[in-house]
Amino acid sequence: MKLFTKLTLFITLSKLAVVLLFVLILPTLVDNIARQYNDFYLSQQKKKVLNVINKNGIDFYLQGEPDYGSYTMLKEEYISLEPAGKNILPDTIATLRRVVEEDTLTYRVLSHVFDYENKRYMLEVGKTTATIGQYNRPLQKMALYVLIGLIVFTIVIDLIFTRLLLRPLGVIISNRLVNRKFPFKDHAPPVKTSTTDFKYLDDSLVDLMERIREAFEKEREFTSNASHELMTPVSILQTKMENLMVDGELGEEMEKKITGMMKTLHRLKKIVNSLLFISRIENDQFPKSDTFAIHTLLEEVMEELQHRLPEKDLHYSVNVSRSAILRSLNHDLIFQLIYNLLNNAIRYNQQGGSIKVSDVCKPGEPYKLFIRDTGIGIPQKELTHIFSRFKKVAKSGNEGYGLGLSIVSTIARYHDIKMEVSSEEGKGTVFTLMFPEETTV
Amino acid sequence: MKVLIIEDERAMAAEMELFLKKAYVCDLAYNARQALQKMEENQYDFILLDLGLPDKDGLLLLQEARKNCPDASYIILTARGQLEDRIKGLDLGADDYLPKPFSLLELQSRMQAIARRKFGLNDSTVPLGDFKVDLNKRMVFFDKSEIELSRKEFDLLSYMLLHKNRPLTRMQLSEHIWGNFSDDDADSNYIDVHIKNIRRKLSAFGTVEWLQTIRHVGYKIKL
Repeated sequence: MKLFTKLTLFITLSKLAVVLLFVLILPTLVDNIARQYNDFYLSQQKKKVLNVINKNGIDFYLQGEPDYGSYTMLKEEYISLEPAGKNILPDTIATLRRVVEEDTLTYRVLSHVFDYENKRYMLEVGKTTATIGQYNRPLQKMALYVLIGLIVFTIVIDLIFTRLLLRPLGVIISNRLVNRKFPFKDHAPPVKTSTTDFKYLDDSLVDLMERIREAFEKEREFTSNASHELMTPVSILQTKMENLMVDGELGEEMEKKITGMMKTLHRLKKIVNSLLFISRIENDQFPKSDTFAIHTLLEEVMEELQHRLPEKDLHYSVNVSRSAILRSLNHDLIFQLIYNLLNNAIRYNQQGGSIKVSDVCKPGEPYKLFIRDTGIGIPQKELTHIFSRFKKVAKSGNEGYGLGLSIVSTIARYHDIKMEVSSEEGKGTVFTLMFPEETTV
Repeated sequence: MKVLIIEDERAMAAEMELFLKKAYVCDLAYNARQALQKMEENQYDFILLDLGLPDKDGLLLLQEARKNCPDASYIILTARGQLEDRIKGLDLGADDYLPKPFSLLELQSRMQAIARRKFGLNDSTVPLGDFKVDLNKRMVFFDKSEIELSRKEFDLLSYMLLHKNRPLTRMQLSEHIWGNFSDDDADSNYIDVHIKNIRRKLSAFGTVEWLQTIRHVGYKIKL
């Protein structure tokens, strides 16, 4: 998942959780606040009542009756007066049912015991719970609306800001990583950002790629120079040996020895040539401007290899679409690539084995070519480095120089051809070439 | 025929001279200055030119040399081996191009091919035992009857004929015929398959004792 998606999800979910929590605790919260405020209000009212009673005298209310109950004095709240027992009790506030003026309702009631002219009375000040809670609902609703409004607003602000903040990261990823091809020759300008972390990341990536490129350049230069330098002594040796091999002058034993030396020299020559070839490909010395039909190319390759099939009694079959035309490739290099793969398929095959070439050619899809053999196969643990220089896969009696597949991978990389290998020891190997879309006509 | 070998590596020049002097008159030049001087003094049929000379770029020398000796055939020999060099060289009028390290046998074979092409030898028939090989028409005759050989078989036979009385290794033969595509795997017997076919096709007409197998080495045409 992308960082921005993750952040978006996190921001939205966390805010939703806050809303949910608020919705859950809001009713109890509002109820509590209303009650506390009401309790405080009742005690204020109690003081007011006591003051009025002190001013008017208690008989003004009792008028000879033993008790008194009415809304008259406070309008909103009822009060009741009645004689109390001996005990002085502290003020209590409780929710109780009371009958006032012939209505039985639930009240929040404050009870207060006081002395007046040597008599002990109990005063109750009560307010219906219905009136206490009458503003709770609209208050809750309003609070919720305001909250949701604020949350939506902050989410939008957060997302816009996150997007702005992360934009340099996106630029870094697309400029430095996604669209870059080894060996990183082109340079995108440094990313504009005030975030030091991104700046550091960008600089480090540029630096790293530059170092990789330099190392690669050096290796390439060395390969090229070393190979050139090796060519001259190899040439001299070869001509010297050729001059030695003149009829009659040498015995059979000598001729055999010189032939052995020539074989070794030939091997050296092949290695140097392969290295030079690889470095030339890496130096972009081959124009990618050829257009050709893959089945013709296969025929050309097989013309060079046909003569080796009877040796092991191999069966070669090709089943590729005649309309498969590839373009923007170097014909000679692709020839070499397929030649090397087919050559291996022959060399590492078993007596009476087979080689099958097939393809998948669908419009709008990259062209795929499969080369299957029934050869000795490649052990799983070797599969990862069969394309590295000088790694020879398991001793096979046949002499390989470990560069054939190296050349294959260099050519494939040069043309952005993706390559996959699957192999089963003793059963055979399948090489899959996936040509980039732009090369398929 | 006269050959000028322009090569700054003396050991290399010496070996080339040693090989070619059996068939040609050879002169040596170790740098461009000497080469131009030699060209003024003599006429050459072949000029073998190494591109990597100490005092002048080989391709420049080629241009100048072609003014002095327009009739000579030029073969570029180089370790530079780059594609552009090859194209440039051939554009500048070189007749052939051999990347180093090359085989002297191959060099001679190329020279012979150029000579045949350039000097338009009408009679390019070479005797081979009781057979006759027409190098231009690429045909083998026994008396009047033509013997059909495949392209590779003919290449092989004519190459051995050119280097007759010389043991040729399987590698040298396969390198000539398959060029860069000669197989790494030198013990492979596909050359033997071709030789067997040649023997089979020709021996239907006459004796092929001249085509000898040399144990551990390869083959030779002994005439």
